[in-house]
Amino acid sequence: MKSFSWPEGIRCPVFLSLNFDAEVHDLRHTTEDRLFGRFSYGRYGIRAGLPRLLEMYARRGIAVTVFVTASDAIRHPDSVRALRDAGHEIASRGADLTPLPTLGESERGVLEQARDALARITGEAPKGFRAAGNELGPHTLRLLAELGYLYDSSFQDHDHPYVFAPTASTKIAEIPTVHTLDDSLHYSGRHTHARVMKVWGEEFEGLYQEGCLAPLTMHLRGDLGSTRAARVVAMEKLLSDIGARPGVRFLTGAQLAAIALACGGAPEGDPFAPHEPTLKVTPYRGDLALKPG
Amino acid sequence: MTKRTTLPGDLRCAVTLGIDFDGPSHEVGRGIAPLGVNSWGRYSARRGIPRHMEMLTRQGVPCTFFVPGYDAECHPDLVREIDRAGFEVAAHGYLHEAWDLGKEEETPLLLKTDAILRQLLGKPIQGWRSPSGRKTSNTMHVLKSMGYRYDSSDKDYDLPYRLRFGAGKDDWIVELPNNTFSLDDFPFYKFSHTPPSEVLAQWKSEFDAIYASDRFMVLTVHPRSGWGSGTPARTRVFEEMIGYMKGHAGVRFFSSGQFASWCLEHLDNLEELTLP
Repeated sequence: MKSFSWPEGIRCPVFLSLNFDAEVHDLRHTTEDRLFGRFSYGRYGIRAGLPRLLEMYARRGIAVTVFVTASDAIRHPDSVRALRDAGHEIASRGADLTPLPTLGESERGVLEQARDALARITGEAPKGFRAAGNELGPHTLRLLAELGYLYDSSFQDHDHPYVFAPTASTKIAEIPTVHTLDDSLHYSGRHTHARVMKVWGEEFEGLYQEGCLAPLTMHLRGDLGSTRAARVVAMEKLLSDIGARPGVRFLTGAQLAAIALACGGAPEGDPFAPHEPTLKVTPYRGDLALKPG
Repeated sequence: MTKRTTLPGDLRCAVTLGIDFDGPSHEVGRGIAPLGVNSWGRYSARRGIPRHMEMLTRQGVPCTFFVPGYDAECHPDLVREIDRAGFEVAAHGYLHEAWDLGKEEETPLLLKTDAILRQLLGKPIQGWRSPSGRKTSNTMHVLKSMGYRYDSSDKDYDLPYRLRFGAGKDDWIVELPNNTFSLDDFPFYKFSHTPPSEVLAQWKSEFDAIYASDRFMVLTVHPRSGWGSGTPARTRVFEEMIGYMKGHAGVRFFSSGQFASWCLEHLDNLEELTLP
């Protein structure tokens, strides 16, 4: 099936992103004074994972997009700057990992402070955003557009980037990803890296054949991320294999957003509005989603 | 002991393919906005369904799309297109209700979805598959009163049968049982995160055993991203599976509605099961 008219020479763009999620993830489950033992996988990402990833990305000549919370960025400004200095794009993952739909009226202020905190560390306002848990509230897209973001990367609903117009006067690109190509899905299920690479290799082949965007999402952590030595070896092999295919190009979020915004097609309307009347009268049964149907 | 369903020798193996549309209804029905991580149902209408229709047309096989009423309201043109392309559209709940419904709640929802689909297509709907597999004898009464010819939700058998749900002369319906633990894509893509090639191997092995025994195969996929088969690699697995089944002598593909018609023409071949 025809996917998208990519710029000349590109058949299958690969969007390799890194969800930083260090201690901020552990802090969802414990307190600052207990970041030891089972709650130190985030620190592993900083101490062991990041140097390894920086080397691997450099060896492969790949610029990735790093989504980092203000909480982690403030704790590790030098790590964030090291990523920036190595040519990677620094994007925002919000203030911490509190789900945005729970913020209510405070959402705008939280997003604004998170943006500014990152800008103070990198010297530049982030262009891209990915929500904690990839969960968006009804107003998040509009707020992001108003805060000057070029793109969001939280949806999983398309094979290529596209553009939202949350209001008549705002626009924001969307760079969709997919759960299957997120390492944390597999590693949180305790699958082996060989299995993850098998799934990813097969999924990539399909995306490549049809000229779709291949969004690969890594995490920095030592538990559900891709930073243990063996996992980095496995990732590097995959990236090397797919990078050798004709027409594969590694692009950052900002580059993909620019492609989507330059397309000139009619943007999508606010994705919440059509469902608002039904959602208003529908009780929350989200816990059902966790159980086998 | 009741007579077991028998397929005549000239029907070597019957295959029905089903695609559960499962668009945004799946999340909205649970009170979740289809945004961000919860937007994977939006993939169905955009990519999964068109990709599946293109593939099925290439393979020249019939298929039934089970469509929740809400998704049909969100994507009326696509549902008409499914019908125009020659595929069957059947009912699949309104908001993909995956919880127990009382009679007072259930009956109007069944009628509502039926009215939406019938109005869109200008023809009667023939069948229903429960979203999540929940149903009651009330469900059967309402389906029959709407003129439905089959249900495809029960998990209790490997062959079609007549499901009798009341003492009245017409209180029965053709049941085309399915299995959502193996003859379906979501158990593998949602729970075990099985590589697509292993899903294909699993389905082939299921088919081999069915071809050698009961000769009735009901395969279901979802056109979503994430836990469905909408993406290219998984659509390819679905296509390869169809090719594999086509490669076996005497295999006939039916839409669920077509197979229900076959059942109605061969009622004597069908076991009757009476449930309270």
